[in-house]
Amino acid sequence: MFKPYKLKDHVCRFCKMFSLDDPAVPKVLFEAESVKPDLAGFPYPLPSKKADYTCSAKTGSVEWYGATNGLTRYDAAAEREEDIVMYFSADRDLPDNNVKSLLADGENLWVLTETGATHIEMKLISAEEKADILRAESEKYVDRRGMKSQKYLREGRNLDSILPYGHSDNDGCFTAAYAIGEIFRYAVYKREKGIDHPDTVTAKKYATRATEATLLLMHISGRGDGFVARTYLCADEPVPDDGIFIKKQGDKGYVLETTCSQEWNCVGAECYAGAEIPARLAKLYRDLGYSDDDIIYKADTSSDEISTHFLFFKIAHDHLACDDPELDEIIVSTCKGLMNHIIDNGYILKDFTGKSTSWAKWNEEYFNSDFGYVDACLNSAEVLMYHLVTMDITGEQGKWRESYDYLVNEKHYADYAPKHFDRLMQASIQMEFDYPEDIMYGDHMLAVCSFYGLCTLEKDEKLLEKYRMGFKSWRTSLAREHNPGYDIPYMLACPDNDVDIEALATWFYRTNASRLAAGVSLIGRHDVAVKKQLMGNEEISVLLPSDERFISKYDRDPLYYKNEDSGGIMCVESAYVYGFAYWMGRYYGFFE
Amino acid sequence: MKNKIHIISNAHLDPIWLWRWQEGCGEVLQTFRSAVDRIKEYKGMIFTCSSASYYKWVEEIDPELFEEIRKLVKKGKWVPVNGWWVQPDCNIPDAESFARQALYSQLYYYEKFGTICKTGYNVDSFGHSAMLPQLLTQGGMKCYVMMRPGMHENSEIPENLFWWDSADGSRVLTYRIRDCYCINGKNGIDNELPILRDRAEKTGHGMMFFFGVGNHGGGPTKGDLDYLLELQEEGFEELEYSSPDEYFSEVCAGQLDIPVWSDELQHHASGCYSATSMIKQLNRKAENWLASAEKWNSVAASISDLPASTKAFGDAWKEVCFNQFHDILCGCSIMEAYDDVRDSMGYAMTVAAKEENKAMLKIANFVDTWLDGVSDSVTCNERHHCRNLKFPRPVIVFNPHSYEVEQPVRTYHPSARVTDCDGNDVLFQNVRSSRSDGTHLDTVFNAKVPALGYATYWLWFEDSKEIGDFKKAESSLKCDGLTIENEFIRVKFDEKTGGISSIINKADGSEFIGGETCVPTVIDNSEADTWAHNIFKFDKVLGTMKLESIDVVENGDARIVVRTKHVYNGSYLKQDFILHSGLEQIRVKCKALWQEPLTILKMPVTINGNNPISTYEIPAGIIKRPCNGEEEPALNWGDVTADGKGVALVSDSKYSYDCTGNTLRLTLIRNSIFADHYSDRPYADFNYTDEGINRFEYAVYPHIGQAEDSGIQRFAATFNNRLVAVPVGYHKGKCLKSIALSA
Repeated sequence: MFKPYKLKDHVCRFCKMFSLDDPAVPKVLFEAESVKPDLAGFPYPLPSKKADYTCSAKTGSVEWYGATNGLTRYDAAAEREEDIVMYFSADRDLPDNNVKSLLADGENLWVLTETGATHIEMKLISAEEKADILRAESEKYVDRRGMKSQKYLREGRNLDSILPYGHSDNDGCFTAAYAIGEIFRYAVYKREKGIDHPDTVTAKKYATRATEATLLLMHISGRGDGFVARTYLCADEPVPDDGIFIKKQGDKGYVLETTCSQEWNCVGAECYAGAEIPARLAKLYRDLGYSDDDIIYKADTSSDEISTHFLFFKIAHDHLACDDPELDEIIVSTCKGLMNHIIDNGYILKDFTGKSTSWAKWNEEYFNSDFGYVDACLNSAEVLMYHLVTMDITGEQGKWRESYDYLVNEKHYADYAPKHFDRLMQASIQMEFDYPEDIMYGDHMLAVCSFYGLCTLEKDEKLLEKYRMGFKSWRTSLAREHNPGYDIPYMLACPDNDVDIEALATWFYRTNASRLAAGVSLIGRHDVAVKKQLMGNEEISVLLPSDERFISKYDRDPLYYKNEDSGGIMCVESAYVYGFAYWMGRYYGFFE
Repeated sequence: MKNKIHIISNAHLDPIWLWRWQEGCGEVLQTFRSAVDRIKEYKGMIFTCSSASYYKWVEEIDPELFEEIRKLVKKGKWVPVNGWWVQPDCNIPDAESFARQALYSQLYYYEKFGTICKTGYNVDSFGHSAMLPQLLTQGGMKCYVMMRPGMHENSEIPENLFWWDSADGSRVLTYRIRDCYCINGKNGIDNELPILRDRAEKTGHGMMFFFGVGNHGGGPTKGDLDYLLELQEEGFEELEYSSPDEYFSEVCAGQLDIPVWSDELQHHASGCYSATSMIKQLNRKAENWLASAEKWNSVAASISDLPASTKAFGDAWKEVCFNQFHDILCGCSIMEAYDDVRDSMGYAMTVAAKEENKAMLKIANFVDTWLDGVSDSVTCNERHHCRNLKFPRPVIVFNPHSYEVEQPVRTYHPSARVTDCDGNDVLFQNVRSSRSDGTHLDTVFNAKVPALGYATYWLWFEDSKEIGDFKKAESSLKCDGLTIENEFIRVKFDEKTGGISSIINKADGSEFIGGETCVPTVIDNSEADTWAHNIFKFDKVLGTMKLESIDVVENGDARIVVRTKHVYNGSYLKQDFILHSGLEQIRVKCKALWQEPLTILKMPVTINGNNPISTYEIPAGIIKRPCNGEEEPALNWGDVTADGKGVALVSDSKYSYDCTGNTLRLTLIRNSIFADHYSDRPYADFNYTDEGINRFEYAVYPHIGQAEDSGIQRFAATFNNRLVAVPVGYHKGKCLKSIALSA
């Protein structure tokens, strides 16, 4: 169906920082003569003003120009246009932007700046090697009992100073996406190397751990009614003041005091927490010495988790659990439990309050509300996808089919999907925001999971057409991201539509081989134009390669005019962004 | 209230139409004064007004009034709409013009009022091009108000409210005014309000009621405002003062299910695409020249001490934007108004010419044109561009486009040899100049210039003794009677009609032509007014022009020229059909003396094949239209293709075409009476829009494949915005002799 694209080995920047007094920094770097480069007639736009360049060096045929606001690499012979001029800046590549001198070190480069030095190595690596490096980093530094979101550091840039705790509001969503990537890796290795190959065995180990961690979130509350927690903490982790946290104690759970629980007037509220947690999943914390009474879970779960979980059920069932019957049983029963919860509660995720959580609502009442009017197009697709996945992996129809048909035929849920663009535009006029710049970028992953699931599972041609129209109605905002994590599912769901495959290749080539969230110096760059949006955000006019923009998860507008997103040099992010896209693409034959 | 009727108090102001701009300016001042007074007198009244140029007039002439308006804008009592300089014609300006309309206007609004316009508003413009949603949204406007065509002209376009989508996915929420944008008087109000009330009831959303004396300004009168108060008291509770911004915001707060329209909004006044050739020609020329000149100014400013002339270009563009007002650019204003328009466009083009020349010479100064020994030359003749030069003279050719262009250029001297900067001989030909002095010869040579770059060529004088031996560049041209050919095509002329009877594609021997081609055809235009209201096809053929002569007037290495002369009553059309070596198109240089009142002159091409499709360039895109004979607006080119092979007609100044079956026709001349509204013609010594001498060029562009894949867009752009050859002096410089600056 697709002509595989050959992802070649590609240069990747590896920057190691040194303090000025570090003996590893060569003395000659301090003595190197700074000769201002003659850049008159330079044939490309430069990231710094010509007047700001202060020094230069040559490594092979590549020229480097240091400036008072960053470093420019010029490779006139680069095969890809975006690689001809590259920009290196603080904090990700340099200690600071005031470059004082440069010194060639074979093919590598020493850079002296105001406050430190950097050794830059441009390594030729394959896309798969990058996936390996990123997985190793996530497993070593980001993992928190199998969950993969982000972690914080005590000391900037020093991954070994990682703090043992640090949760994300959407641990479930990000861990599910990580699991999907690693499951596809396992499926690729099994197909290409055989099931007993050490790489395959290792892949299975990591895929299984992420799978178990994701599944655990669907049991951790102990409510036994299919309720899914956003995330959970253990007793020795600090409880952040950013939501509703419930401490388990015996067969009860109690709402802890936070700003949010005070606002909700529910401090100390009780709920049931005595349901048994599958032992295989509970091992993730019990093996570390924690008991069930040490668990504090986060409630008010949103549809972000639920939607990624259902896609995860499908992928895990098809590609991982086929070799692990015990795991498959957990996956299937968990899926059924969650689906039952949603149907039995009138298409909501019911919180301990007896009401729906803030953002997990798929019922008509919500769709007819002011806010739900716009959300209806996405949320209807989500809940329909849940049904199709449940039918697919359980092999059952019955209740699931009855509910699906009810939503499709009597509530016309499939007809909402193509109206997404209409309603969003309507909202943009009424609420005065710019589309597609000012929208909620976190919704993109949910739309991709939902429509990918719907378009690949629905067999009825008429419904399929509606779902494809629904997916296409998201393309204006999806397409400009050139995110292979979105575009590959889109190509699988709507194979008659093209995406810019070269832009996807650029994304893989230019993604950093570390998720240390160190920022870049985008603000002030001389070669990017900035647009101000109605809501006050600022956007750059051209999408920059990933290694020259801020590091984030999939939930940010990649054109935002800002230097960093999460914790900067004090934070390391999950590698799911790369693995999800790369291994899915590999599995379906997009890439060689 | 769901069925609210939003009173949009406004005053449609035509700055030029049946009056000159000075009167329009006065009209603006009076209307604005009146609107401010009414707002003070009537509680709740809001006034809506478009066109940044009007505000600028008021700011300059009556700053106190302007200050009052600023305060009212802050309070939401006065709402500027349409972030464009005027309400332009929405078919003829190119994408750059629409961008400039928004750029200068929204900046002005932001600077003066602290906000930009959210709603596009072209209530009187005569049709709306298919890519306008993109041009509006990129200019900061998500909503749009339009009226023409009315339901009687196109009933397929949704009524009232619809999403209007352009091909790139851009979208504007569009309100189509039912009947009139300036309802006034008791009868008008009594007629309109019940209809709007009924529509609001049926659709479940509000309607807009456009109220106030208009066209020559005016706005809401006291009598009408009092009458509205009466109506409100008598039960029209849904009537409320509002603005288009408020209307769209309120409507969007509801749960809508409104239709989507993904096509252009046509046709209203089909004669407007061709009426008054002069303004069309000036518009095309000014758009291209200003865009080009500003590129060179930017380049020169980035590499030299030449300042960026942003303000000068802004002032020039504002003149062009003003002259794109729909009644001006559509050619339906009074004759005297066009004297002003010509002066105004002349100003804009003088800015372009001066800035371009300055910038090109500045850039040229950096180019190394030095020749060893040139400083030893002792005579004035040797160091300057006169005859008997010992050294070849350098000519730098500039390309304003973002891609490499190969095109013939002309310099005003004859040559004996032309080489490029690497010393390769290039094709050239000495051709008859426009002067009757000196040698009477100019040099035409084929230049190839990199993207947004320049290339240096060397030209030897005809009788230079220093040329030495050289091998002439090979020409592909052949001429056999009235059959001419180059490496790509063989073109045969009909000795009886003077038209083209055959164009053979030499690559595969296939024929492009399937009928009458390039035979000038005269059409009756007596029943149409200047706009051609209610007429959508110009198909009453009076006859074809009679061939008086046909001759091969040039037959050289670089080009062959066949000259025809056709006559019709007291009028004539001379055409030079020029076939260049190395180019796949035929350029046709025309001069017409036109003296036929109420006629149209069209130029047809007829192609071979079945299932024809016509394609046209429109602002910021292309469009496919049915081959049904309706007159259609387009920019640089129109095309008809059948069975994967077609011919496009490209012009340097025309905007109107029709296509019936396999025949595409370019409208060259439309000779109407000035501002002849609905053809009510009390006797007068009429002046006609196109009478007299008309000079223009078109090209015949045969191609394989669909038009949009054929390279037509680039060719048409280079046809309209050509390479510029600048003779320069000898100097040492650090820049290469040929470079692409676009990289």
